[in-house]
Amino acid sequence: MKFLDPRVHRVLDGEEPRESLDLALRRQVERLDQAAALLASSLEQASVADRVMTAIRRPAPAHTHRFIHWLVTPRAIVLRVRPAWSLALAAGLLAALLLPLPESRVALREGEGIAQFVARFPGAHSVAVVGSFNDWQPESTRLEDPDHDGVWGASVVLPAGAHEYMFVVDGERWIADPLAERFVQDDYGRENSVVLVQPARVSHL
Amino acid sequence: MKKGEGPSDAEVVATILAGETEAFGIIIRRYEPGLLRYATRMLGSRDAAADAVAEGLVRAYRHLASCRDPTRLRTWLYRIVANRCKSELARRPTASISLDDAPPVPDPESVETTLERAEQLALVERALAQLSPDKREAFVLKHVEGMSYEEMAAATGERIPTLKMRVHRAREALLRALEEVE
Repeated sequence: MKFLDPRVHRVLDGEEPRESLDLALRRQVERLDQAAALLASSLEQASVADRVMTAIRRPAPAHTHRFIHWLVTPRAIVLRVRPAWSLALAAGLLAALLLPLPESRVALREGEGIAQFVARFPGAHSVAVVGSFNDWQPESTRLEDPDHDGVWGASVVLPAGAHEYMFVVDGERWIADPLAERFVQDDYGRENSVVLVQPARVSHL
Repeated sequence: MKKGEGPSDAEVVATILAGETEAFGIIIRRYEPGLLRYATRMLGSRDAAADAVAEGLVRAYRHLASCRDPTRLRTWLYRIVANRCKSELARRPTASISLDDAPPVPDPESVETTLERAEQLALVERALAQLSPDKREAFVLKHVEGMSYEEMAAATGERIPTLKMRVHRAREALLRALEEVE
């Protein structure tokens, strides 16, 4: 669909004066200007300020406490490991997690599971997982590499279901997990990996 | 911020991070209208836009310390709300948007003018709704929110050449859609 003269784009991008166009092209510019002005000026909408301020005056969810509680209280989980080479690592981790202490109790909420993200990025200084569950914010969920062996991992409590995600390496390289079971094309032409989180078997002891 | 318009974004952010939660109201008043407008144009629904903006602003407050450059707070907020919109669109069966049914209530003193304007707006909204989400976002950020391509890149995480291409295609598609609906 290319029926707009390039000069129209240049004028709309402020690279050329409007007067440089003939009447027909100037009409197209004016039509787009008019559409933008209508979209910009005609909206009347109630403020969400009260709703936002009410929410932020409440204490933030204690994610740290919840995570620590999860660490010391083994429970049924779903383990997700991506790279094939790290299956042995995953198996060891899985065994450790599924051999709970005798007094173990399930403390996950109904409808939640745990996704374990493991990936190998030798030489990386930081790795994060971003996805629909954290609004694609690289600062939200960082992976750790305590052994400095290039194997990065993180456990994340997520609602059961499908979640799109990518890895962000060193804050700038967005990388889809090549060994994810599923991929999906997003609305912006990028390919995201998909993790399927099953609800944990919550027991009430 | 221009002189006389109150504290800068960086000053407000520093105040909030120092513990003055109520100062976040300044941020809301400053950017809420544009964010609501953007979200409404992306989602086609005032209610869905209000949800996206409210959730986005709460998330922004919670993660305010991670805003590395408070002088670019505006584009950072747009990026958060854009992600909320993206998640909302992804939940829908198709990427298309459904427009609110209720037209604006006309002012009795200028009914004719208002109705004509409402009809024109409805035409433009229908044409905008026909664009793909990436073209719609590009057009709205560029021409409705008045962002530069550099600001758009910060708000979307996309490269400037990609955004220029989307804006160009959006203009062409919008003009064509306007011709079809008129």
